[in-house]
Amino acid sequence: MRLKFLFFLFLSFFFSCAPSRFVKPLEKKQHAANVSLGGPLFKYGTATIPVPFLTASYGYGIDSTLTGFAAINVTSALYGNFQMELGATKQLLKQKKYIPALSISTVANIIYRDKDAHKFYPQLDINVFWEYGKRKNFFYVGFDNWFELSQKKAYDIKQSNRWMFTPLIGHDFTGKKWNFKMEAKIIAPNLSNEKLTVEYQTPFKNHGALGIYLGYTYKFN
Amino acid sequence: MKIFFLYQHFFLSGKTKAGTLIFAMTLSFSSCLRLDDNLYNKTKLTEYKLDNYTGEVDFTLDYSYHIPDSLVHVFTLQSQSNDESSATNIYALYIGNINTIASDTVIMYCHGNKDHMDFYWQRAKLLANTKSKNRFGVLMIDYRGFGMSEGEPTEDALYTDVEAGLKWLKNSGLTNDRLVIYGFSMGTAPATKLSAEPRSLKPCKLILEAPFASAEVMVQDATGLALPGTCVTDLKINNGEEIKSVQQPFFWIHGVEDDFLNITTHGEVVYANYKGTYKEAHRIPNAGHSSIPSTMGFLNYTNAIGDFITQH
Repeated sequence: MRLKFLFFLFLSFFFSCAPSRFVKPLEKKQHAANVSLGGPLFKYGTATIPVPFLTASYGYGIDSTLTGFAAINVTSALYGNFQMELGATKQLLKQKKYIPALSISTVANIIYRDKDAHKFYPQLDINVFWEYGKRKNFFYVGFDNWFELSQKKAYDIKQSNRWMFTPLIGHDFTGKKWNFKMEAKIIAPNLSNEKLTVEYQTPFKNHGALGIYLGYTYKFN
Repeated sequence: MKIFFLYQHFFLSGKTKAGTLIFAMTLSFSSCLRLDDNLYNKTKLTEYKLDNYTGEVDFTLDYSYHIPDSLVHVFTLQSQSNDESSATNIYALYIGNINTIASDTVIMYCHGNKDHMDFYWQRAKLLANTKSKNRFGVLMIDYRGFGMSEGEPTEDALYTDVEAGLKWLKNSGLTNDRLVIYGFSMGTAPATKLSAEPRSLKPCKLILEAPFASAEVMVQDATGLALPGTCVTDLKINNGEEIKSVQQPFFWIHGVEDDFLNITTHGEVVYANYKGTYKEAHRIPNAGHSSIPSTMGFLNYTNAIGDFITQH
């Protein structure tokens, strides 16, 4: 029954529409253009597929440890919203053999439809990553955090979900001019999904959702 | 596709900033998909089969609820609002004796967002047999685009189509004091609207099964965020506000385990916002969105409905 309520598929876990933008900062003065596709997995008929969120982003290496970036959510734009991310990734620690490098990303998520419909969501991502091999491929683990600033929702009901916590694991295959990213997230394992309408696939029974994402980055100077 | 070629061209030629800007602007202002149409989970039919319908239904009643053919009437209505230049042909089904509508109590049943009247036939039969065999007349219509009804559904058309049914009842002799309006799920929108702002007939009682509060609550429930509903839908349906204008006695029933329209965020809001003369709540443990009658037991369900209609 629930599967036929297509109304909700686009809405599902709005805050998990893309993989981590830049886990490892770009080189100084390097540019990068990126597209990503993916979202939370849900059961559709007999198949399990990700919600097809499409995003596009641009990044610039301000210095070798700091990358600024901007992104738009293409799927959201198709629905008439200007949904944008503005953020920066800062590498705080370098990798020392098996001790991973550490980076954090602070992001402003802006959703604007009109003067009556707009929202701002701050986001903080914390990732550790390990480079290996000649090509400097790397894998990473970390977590995203979205924060809901509104205390109330419709009809002045208390907004109980203020923190959307999302652990993740991913891998970047690195070329000279490109990166290819695969990422999996456990979206909001602290939140019940029992009455969220969409039938999510999740390793945590009635909590959260599993998200799968692919990303392609083209780098140039 | 043109957009993607343009995007690719600018990226590959290195004019990244210009490409990104054009891409963003094109998509941002070339809106817009809206989720409104997806609310209508309709299926077309070439004929109504009623008891012979073999598709999915929520439950099937035994023969004790059988309605004789002489009391089943399928017919068409012309649905037209003041803003429309022409009428749309919609299908209706009346259970009961058309010749005694002038003295019968009739339930106007506004069905949910799924399929068509064949899907809701079992529910309509149940209501017709509330309290005793064929106790109440029941009128049900297929909204535009549902079943054999022509046209496409819209929010305004939901109200216009139900109003077409009420006009038919009025022309058949029904008066306000014997009209009960019953809305299930999406059907709670026209049921509430036409109770709060009556047109040809003013229902004397309102029954809402698994009502939704508003499109905004649907959006917020689905996203987990306090996101404005208008980001994705232009639906103005707002039972949570509309119910404040309803004065007629009000019966609310909702499954505690409803995983489509959450009892807390939807049903409780509608119930709490009712300020009329009389209200009663039935929170049904273990019942989901579509399983209230079967979870309660058909007799318990019809007794609750029947007591409300006859006693309040």
